[in-house]
Amino acid sequence: MAAFGAARCLFRSYSRVKNVDQNTGILVRCSRRMLCSAPSDSSSPDAHVKPQFLDAEVQDILTRITGLNLEKVFRPIKQELKPPKYKLMTDAQLEEAIQSAREQAQRLLKMPPVLPERKPINDVLSEDKILEGMDTAKYVFTDITFNIPHRERFIVIREPTGTLRKASWEERDRILQVYFPKEGRRLTAPPVFKEENLKVVFGQDRHEDMLDLCQVQFEPDSSEYIRVHAATYEDLEKMGKYDLLRSTRHFGGLVWYLVNARRVDGLVIDMLQKDLLQDAVSLVGLFNKVHPHSETAQEASSQQASGLDLLKIYAKRESQRAGYVELALQAYEQTSAESSV
Amino acid sequence: MVHLSSFLLKTYHGGHIVIRLAMAGHKQSNRPFYRIVAAYNKRARDSKYIEQLGSYDPLPNIYNEKLVSINSDRIKYWMGCGAHPTKPVAKLLGLAGFFPLHPMTVTETERHRALAELAEEAAPEDGVKQQEL
Repeated sequence: MAAFGAARCLFRSYSRVKNVDQNTGILVRCSRRMLCSAPSDSSSPDAHVKPQFLDAEVQDILTRITGLNLEKVFRPIKQELKPPKYKLMTDAQLEEAIQSAREQAQRLLKMPPVLPERKPINDVLSEDKILEGMDTAKYVFTDITFNIPHRERFIVIREPTGTLRKASWEERDRILQVYFPKEGRRLTAPPVFKEENLKVVFGQDRHEDMLDLCQVQFEPDSSEYIRVHAATYEDLEKMGKYDLLRSTRHFGGLVWYLVNARRVDGLVIDMLQKDLLQDAVSLVGLFNKVHPHSETAQEASSQQASGLDLLKIYAKRESQRAGYVELALQAYEQTSAESSV
Repeated sequence: MVHLSSFLLKTYHGGHIVIRLAMAGHKQSNRPFYRIVAAYNKRARDSKYIEQLGSYDPLPNIYNEKLVSINSDRIKYWMGCGAHPTKPVAKLLGLAGFFPLHPMTVTETERHRALAELAEEAAPEDGVKQQEL
């Protein structure tokens, strides 16, 4: 019966969010280039290499925690109403179709990159005092050569004072949207992204839509993007509504934010309540990797702990609500003992 | 003067190629919009061109910017084929930093400044006269 449900999902359209693959491809390429250009930490002899969001191990853990709920990934999205298509298949073909659906879901769940905030551009190319007072408006010159990546394009502004300077990041985003429009992006940010309006949207439990809109509108290293994401994650953590993002592509970002802020308590308890013990264990493992100097990590490495012991150490050392975590662990052990007996 | 483009271009046309501003026929009065275009010299200003190399919007937008787009790659190609830029295009490219500054830009700025100073001297005198009256 579950297979029929999944098969029914298959025959709706696959495109969950338009252009998500191209966006993430371009963004991952940009982020790779930027990460390469930043000074590498491994040059200093004593510092441990801090795990970055895009490391293979970290991504592995985050994908496992995100889960793969086919029903939720392929749930109907607002799109053109087409009559459903029915196909007659053998069992083997159905298996293949489910497999390809799984791969498609994994591609749709690809996490958008988490990048540090971009530094402002303050480059002045030339100062020509003789041109002062020529015009009351600025001239914006864009290079529309086709084959250059948008990050390397020349967008220069000639001010009425005669200075020729490079455009700032916000101006760049706006001008690039004029000449190379991206689908769904608007020239000025919609007023949803203001603080008061964000609160209204969170009250309606539409965090995922908010994050998708933010993904489309802003670049991943802009201050607006980081601010909106931080506000969303804070609200989710306050309300404890982690389930809204589970099995979507934003869950990894949420986990990374919480781990970096060392506030993993709520999430661990939520996982234990839902009987996702493996996820809780990998979460604590990730926490230890990112903060290897914390007490939890040091004790865990000294005892070579794994599985439930990791959780116990975490409950003892780091968590604020230790009692709750231990209770949940005891309950789990009891149920597993009963089921085995 | 020798028009190199006649020798460098593949088809012999008898005239030379220019890079100039052509008005994009939006059929709205008092709202100009120019395209930076490579065209044969003898063609009408707005008629068939060889290639569009950019655009120029002379009216400032809400952020007080005049948007100019330049396809630098293709402009370099056409300059290499012997195309001549006209004065307004040369001024725009000089302001952009693509060409060195056009001397007429400097002269125009000085003239503009002189006019502005004259207007300033005239305005306070008028203001004083009105107060006296």
